[in-house]
Amino acid sequence: MTEASQSILWLSEVAGASFVAGVVGSISGLGGGIVIVPVLTILMHVPIERAIGASIVSVIAVSSGAGSVYVKDKITNVRIAMFLELFTAAGALLGAGYLSRHINPESLYILFGLMLLVSLIPIFARLGQELPDGIQNDRIASSLRLNGSYFDKRLGREIQYNVTGIPAAIGIMFAAGIISGILGIGAGVVKVLAHEVAMKVPTKVSTATSNFMIGVTAAAGAGVYLRRGLVLPFLVVPVAIFVLVGAFLGTRIMERLSNSLLRKIFALLLAIVGIQMLIRGLGGKY
Amino acid sequence: MDNPTAPKTNAQTDAISDVSAWVLRAGVILSSLVMLIGIIVTFAHGNISVARITTDGCDYRPDIIWNGILRGEGKRIIEAGIYLLLFTPIMRVFASSILFAFQERDRLYTAITLVVLILTLAGLLWIG
Repeated sequence: MTEASQSILWLSEVAGASFVAGVVGSISGLGGGIVIVPVLTILMHVPIERAIGASIVSVIAVSSGAGSVYVKDKITNVRIAMFLELFTAAGALLGAGYLSRHINPESLYILFGLMLLVSLIPIFARLGQELPDGIQNDRIASSLRLNGSYFDKRLGREIQYNVTGIPAAIGIMFAAGIISGILGIGAGVVKVLAHEVAMKVPTKVSTATSNFMIGVTAAAGAGVYLRRGLVLPFLVVPVAIFVLVGAFLGTRIMERLSNSLLRKIFALLLAIVGIQMLIRGLGGKY
Repeated sequence: MDNPTAPKTNAQTDAISDVSAWVLRAGVILSSLVMLIGIIVTFAHGNISVARITTDGCDYRPDIIWNGILRGEGKRIIEAGIYLLLFTPIMRVFASSILFAFQERDRLYTAITLVVLILTLAGLLWIG
């Protein structure tokens, strides 16, 4: 095989994996690092820092591509996203600019992994529930008008929902920002958790709103990777373009799923990310 | 504000949703096209090995990228595409802050989006 066809074959394999990452990332609101990083490190032998560099770019692509659909279809709660971005962005800067020099990433990975596995418990408690029930707006949510509605394509009707637990959500989002800033990951999984467990909004709104937010967090974190030369241009092209194609397909699937199935998918991915982070903390390179 | 417990629709932020969706879509389409052109130009000039794909990092300095684009270098065109993609969510925040300020005249959300904008730009361009 010639060298040129070898490179093109290699890039095509990356493209295939990126397509899958785009579908998974846009359905779940996690972005796609969950697929991209292990595939690049284990199968394609890319060093982990550079795999994360590519995954940050892919998160921005998924967030923007899928975001354009979810926002247009009014599933994303734009006010919640804008308000909470304040805390993720502040956390990310604190993490990248200051804490990253003082915190050992291995112990943070382990702590983060354990936290994710523990947070499976409240998710399991309402695994089969289709829509949250009897939620009242808390004080902050009503003064910021965070409650909203969306048209559920599966149920065929407009769903009104209230939003609670904003103080807890603020804390979780700030922590998500710190984790993103130190570890260079989008931490979409923490954002979905804040929406699901603290604010108790319908799952489709959780994933769409988290998906909308992760692009901003990732953009803030991307600078570090760019300046350290960890974003590889030739690798990023197939990743960015094919996660986008996957993301557009993923939005069509997500809007037709039931909230309870979507929550089950999220729970599964949460477990996978939790274990992935534990492995990284114990020295595994993927 | 009238009755805060009454469920409201998202009607008041419809314009912001529509503009955000447009900015995001334009950003991803434009950046993908530029990256695609960059990779085609690269391969048209000769092959790059898998080893180079997995080691050759981005140059982030705008002057290097700009001069490379003027010389028609594929790698610099790709880097411009990556920058366009990185700025897509930031443009979305910027566009919403303009709409919150001048259309909705919502001071609180104008302030919130402006702070997010500044923090994000600081992270992308300077800090860390």
